[in-house]
Amino acid sequence: MDPSRISLRQFHLPDVDDFLKWASDEKVTRYLRWNTITSREEALSYLQKVAIPQTYRRSICLDDRSIGYVSIKPGSGNDKSRARLGYAVSAEYWGQGIATATLNMAVANAFTEFQGLVRVEALVEVENVGSQRVLEKVGFLK
Amino acid sequence: MEVTSVVQLDQTEAKDECLNLSLRPLQVSDVDDFMVWASDEKVTRFCTWEPYTNKEDGLNYIKNKVVPHPWFRAICVDDRPVGAISVSANSGNDKCRGELGYVLASKYWGKGIVTRAVKMVVDTIFVEWPHLERLEALVDVENVGSQRVLEKAGFQREGVLRKYFILKGRSRDMVMFSLLSTDYQS
Repeated sequence: MDPSRISLRQFHLPDVDDFLKWASDEKVTRYLRWNTITSREEALSYLQKVAIPQTYRRSICLDDRSIGYVSIKPGSGNDKSRARLGYAVSAEYWGQGIATATLNMAVANAFTEFQGLVRVEALVEVENVGSQRVLEKVGFLK
Repeated sequence: MEVTSVVQLDQTEAKDECLNLSLRPLQVSDVDDFMVWASDEKVTRFCTWEPYTNKEDGLNYIKNKVVPHPWFRAICVDDRPVGAISVSANSGNDKCRGELGYVLASKYWGKGIVTRAVKMVVDTIFVEWPHLERLEALVDVENVGSQRVLEKAGFQREGVLRKYFILKGRSRDMVMFSLLSTDYQS
């Protein structure tokens, strides 16, 4: 995988069909806190109400087409020094180091973008071994 | 989040004196007793808040934060409040988890009071809140006395969360402890 093909950007409404492709896949959404998207209407609504307004959420893009997302959300008030990481990648692109490459970029950006950020954390289900390995490769401490 | 401040003052294990200990709601009329621990720097050392300096602030705290709290009790010795213990509730997908916090007047440190109070909470909270599966507590790595309280009360030490929290301007490592409803039953 040529790393220059991967980029991070804000979601836009025209991403809806690409977004629906991976967000409707239960393999992809299995360990996510948000529900699998089941229709184009739901996808549009989710993009409009959640993905686009959340300034800390980005689309993971391959050749500028959405194949996943990463979000790094800082806490508020006393918890501003700490941010929670979440991500998912289309199953079609698993096993190619895309999540690892993306997270490296996203985490570095977050420390620059968010004043006072000291800690990025991620919670991974014990069964989700693949995701644990990604985080270890990126340099997270378990 | 309330953090804890029980410290063993001697090197030796303090004796568990037979004090008449009880838990009850904290009321506005308890404000003078509240001010005893709430104004003490030793007590607030690991708390997010600064010592209280006037009774009006104390009254406001009790009225606005304590009274509506989902689970807040005064720790009483001979029916006089000497500290407080509370469990926070979460909603939605976090409902299975509550956070324990406690604070005790420094005069009463080293007598096993908080350990007993924690055990009393554990005895009732899983029954009062049947949806609760995990009771957790976060303790500053330097707050060894409080860590010992939780260990004695049967909590499991899960690990250190590095630079988890900013306490009075500095980021702090915190130790995560938990007790599960299933741990408690067995």
